[in-house]
Amino acid sequence: MKMDLWKGIAILAAVFMLLVSLLTIVNYLQIQRADPIHTETINLLVDRLNQNPQDVSLRDQIRELDLLVRKAYFTNQWQVRTGAYLLLISLAVFIIAMQIVEGRKKPQPELETEETEGFLSIQKNTRRWVAVGGGVLVTTALLLTYLTHSELENRFELAAQGKPEVEKQLPAKDSVVVVQNKQADVSKQAEVVPVPEVLPNVEESKEVEKKPVEVQPKQIAENEKIEPESPKKTEPSKTISEQTLKNNFPSFRGYGGNGVSFKENLPLHWDGPSGENVLWKTEIPLHGYNSPIVWEDKVFLTGANDERQEVYCFNGNTGVLVWTAVIDNIPGSPAVSPEVTPDTGHAAPTMCTDGTHVYAIFSTGDVVALDMSGSIVWARNLGVPRNHYGHSSSLLTYEDKLLIQYDHSNEAKVMALNTQTGETLWSTARKVKVSWASPVLVNTGSQMELILNADPLVASYNPETGEELWQLKCMMGEVGPSVVYADGVVFAMNEYASLVAIQLGEQATILWEDDEFLSDVPSPVATDQYLFVATSYGVLVCYDAKTGEKYWEQEYDDGFYSSMMMNGDHIYLIDKRGITHIFKASNVFEEIAASPLGEAVYTTPAMGDKSIYIRAEKHLYRIGM
Amino acid sequence: MSRHVKQRIVSWMALGCLLAVLCSFGMDASAQQRFPKPEFENGHTQPPTFTPAPRADFMEVVDVFVLILSLSVVTWLVLNKRSRKGVFWASIFSIFYFGFYREGCVCSVGSLQNVTLALFHTGYQIPYTVIAFFVIPLIYTLFFGRTFCAAVCPLGAIQDLVALKPYSLKSWVEKTLGLFPVVYLGLAILYAATATDFVICRYDPFIGIYRMEGSFNMLVLGAAFLLAGVFIARPYCRFFCPYGVLLNLASRVSRRHMTITPSTCIQCKLCEHSCPYGAIEKPVPAHTKEKRSGLVNNAIFLSLIIPVLILIGGYAGSLLHESLAKVNPTVRLAEQLLNEVETVDGIIPLEIEAFRSSGQSLESLYAEAAGIIQQFYIGGWILGGIVGLIFGITLARLTIYRYRKDYEPNKGRCLSCTRCMDFCPVEE
Repeated sequence: MKMDLWKGIAILAAVFMLLVSLLTIVNYLQIQRADPIHTETINLLVDRLNQNPQDVSLRDQIRELDLLVRKAYFTNQWQVRTGAYLLLISLAVFIIAMQIVEGRKKPQPELETEETEGFLSIQKNTRRWVAVGGGVLVTTALLLTYLTHSELENRFELAAQGKPEVEKQLPAKDSVVVVQNKQADVSKQAEVVPVPEVLPNVEESKEVEKKPVEVQPKQIAENEKIEPESPKKTEPSKTISEQTLKNNFPSFRGYGGNGVSFKENLPLHWDGPSGENVLWKTEIPLHGYNSPIVWEDKVFLTGANDERQEVYCFNGNTGVLVWTAVIDNIPGSPAVSPEVTPDTGHAAPTMCTDGTHVYAIFSTGDVVALDMSGSIVWARNLGVPRNHYGHSSSLLTYEDKLLIQYDHSNEAKVMALNTQTGETLWSTARKVKVSWASPVLVNTGSQMELILNADPLVASYNPETGEELWQLKCMMGEVGPSVVYADGVVFAMNEYASLVAIQLGEQATILWEDDEFLSDVPSPVATDQYLFVATSYGVLVCYDAKTGEKYWEQEYDDGFYSSMMMNGDHIYLIDKRGITHIFKASNVFEEIAASPLGEAVYTTPAMGDKSIYIRAEKHLYRIGM
Repeated sequence: MSRHVKQRIVSWMALGCLLAVLCSFGMDASAQQRFPKPEFENGHTQPPTFTPAPRADFMEVVDVFVLILSLSVVTWLVLNKRSRKGVFWASIFSIFYFGFYREGCVCSVGSLQNVTLALFHTGYQIPYTVIAFFVIPLIYTLFFGRTFCAAVCPLGAIQDLVALKPYSLKSWVEKTLGLFPVVYLGLAILYAATATDFVICRYDPFIGIYRMEGSFNMLVLGAAFLLAGVFIARPYCRFFCPYGVLLNLASRVSRRHMTITPSTCIQCKLCEHSCPYGAIEKPVPAHTKEKRSGLVNNAIFLSLIIPVLILIGGYAGSLLHESLAKVNPTVRLAEQLLNEVETVDGIIPLEIEAFRSSGQSLESLYAEAAGIIQQFYIGGWILGGIVGLIFGITLARLTIYRYRKDYEPNKGRCLSCTRCMDFCPVEE
């Protein structure tokens, strides 16, 4: 009777257990498939909201849907957990009942068997199998050794001593062949059409059309492809006056890379989604985080992926992609692109120009000089930079020199290449870690200085000779923001480090320090009186440039990756969502305008004549009136 | 003291233990706010966030006390009471206390790694509790056999519970697979001595079940062991448990090991198939001796082959040193950096980020990694040599003839579960 009871309990527990298992597995599979953070419907609605941020009902709908999805997800989790508890309890009941049932069974005595003979054969058999087991172990060891051995110990020892065993994997150095007058694979796409005839001038187009002109890059079929021009003879670089450089936008953050532009009547108000004050918008073929540079009526960008590196020239008046130069077959360039993270990519450094040539650098270490029609003047590989995110320092020119900050874990240096030939004019080794900041070239009163920011040094170099002028050990971490200079003071910072104001003079000294608001990506701007800092988490701060006193801070919903640009007393700062905040360079916060583009922006704008060029995620825009 | 009074005392002790456990559940309730709450403009009330307070220090003493008490009770149940029912309920208690309540940690099986680490790295401060968990079961085993395995070890207890339809394995399977724990023990010691990893804990199949959470693989491994355990009793204890190797050795010389029969064996054979672990040695009549010449030849052969086996094992172990060393995090990091594999799926591994922010130079990292590989080379020789020696000894023992009159538990392999006693009709 008692046995039957325990048997019944066991059967009941088993059935219950099976049911609960089934339901729990179904729930578990549901959870595995569900991803409340990336729901397709919600993502679609969010995209729609991004296009129309004022739609309150859509916003509410997204919130409700999001709450529903999350509730469902957590309810499923709760069910799985409860199911597991029930399963465990029923399993315990089942096992205990079964143990009791089984434990009460009594065995029957067995008849005599021939054990005696079995004993010896068992011993013999066991010996054989133990030997086989040993053999299997040794064979496994040999096989594993054969498959996985890679002389690690020797390689480590050599690497520890810095011997060539390791260095053979390091990229080539300065001895790379310089390719001059190499003809790029240039696709001419619009140069054949005289611009004024295709579109009315900008002033006229404002009158005629309210909508921006959207230009799609034309795909030229094989038979239509325009034959590249024959290699041109290298045109000697003309000495460009400082004023001409200032009139253009020759590098990242403008002339010298100091975040100042010298234009007049820049637009304040525009609206990307409706097309208000958007002169044109052109799709960019390949992705890149580099910012536009401008020379007269030409706008230059680069784009790259694992397989392709390209330089683009756009017509500033019309937005038409004038030419695309494919950068490949450069001696020393790696067969496989180095690994980079998606937030840096293969084309993070911004180009620069001296008005004669344009210069570009990619994550592979390929540097190229092209003339204004897209023909390669020279190209070389500097050695693949060992950089875990990807190379991102932008280029600068100074007279006949192309200045490159090349701080990587295999080698850290700053160098100058001849803009005409690409040959190294000087190279100065630096004892710093990998840096993602860009060089800044400023006249500090007594001379031109090239100032670099890296861990652990903020250092200055003579751009003529590469001689180090001064250095201060005050920085740390993965340095992203470039320095800014104003009125004898250099400002440098990095997140998790500090904001340092360095007073130049006979000796560079720290004027003041602060660590409350630090940037990891956007670079600051400064005037004689004020320093403005934007952070990637959305806080904008104004300090007294000389004392470090904080005047104001302003918080925005979206963070900033774009660096600030100062024009007159206006500062332009674009948030990640593409809204340009324009505020006064003053010790009292005063926002003049907030103009949306309708597309994410991570780059820094370039200032043109009465217009602004913005590289958004997929398009290049010209904003103006 | 009458049997009735003894039973009552045991009942009160059990009840006391249970109450102590239940009370201790409430002890961690006091907790503290860790971070200030963020402020929300829309009036959302943030639910309170608490970080559980650490477990009270004295609870560690309680754990040791419960271990000693459990071992004493189980030993008494095995040797004096000869009660299968008692051992069964003691197993349930261990599953509850050392398993679900203590979440399988500290466990004696894993403690051998802490002890090894402490022996090789003076900087490691081993907690006294861990030493106690390592030493106390060994002491009990030296005196009373493997009563710890019988019902105190939570890993063994849970497997014992699910052994519902156990099948006997052939002796050669038992012996051959039974050598694997030696290899596992060697690996665990090697990895702990080089401060590489606690592999026993990492691959503990039941920890996920006791904690009721874990990776999918971990839970599947635990479920697979339990499922296998229904038909092959205690597969982990017999073919994997590294601590079991030490207990096996200690139990062989135990002073008072359990016996199947309380007095004289009547050769009724009722117990013959009662042991699900194949730990009952059957009688071997005197006339089964091998021929003397054969025995001499075997003895000469084995005396020669043992040193050879040690050398082969050592050599094989030394060859494996690089593969074994790749488990070490420093070696792995150095290899990644040497091979310039600095991102995985576009993301920089935390180890590389941490290394970069540490300020350590690449050269010193490579030198450190080379040193660790050298340690593995030496360790590989020692580990392989010992495994070779154990194989040799096992082979030697398999050539030795032992006359046996009665059914007896194999003192090394017997887990003192008392199933066989339940089948013995002989009374004291």
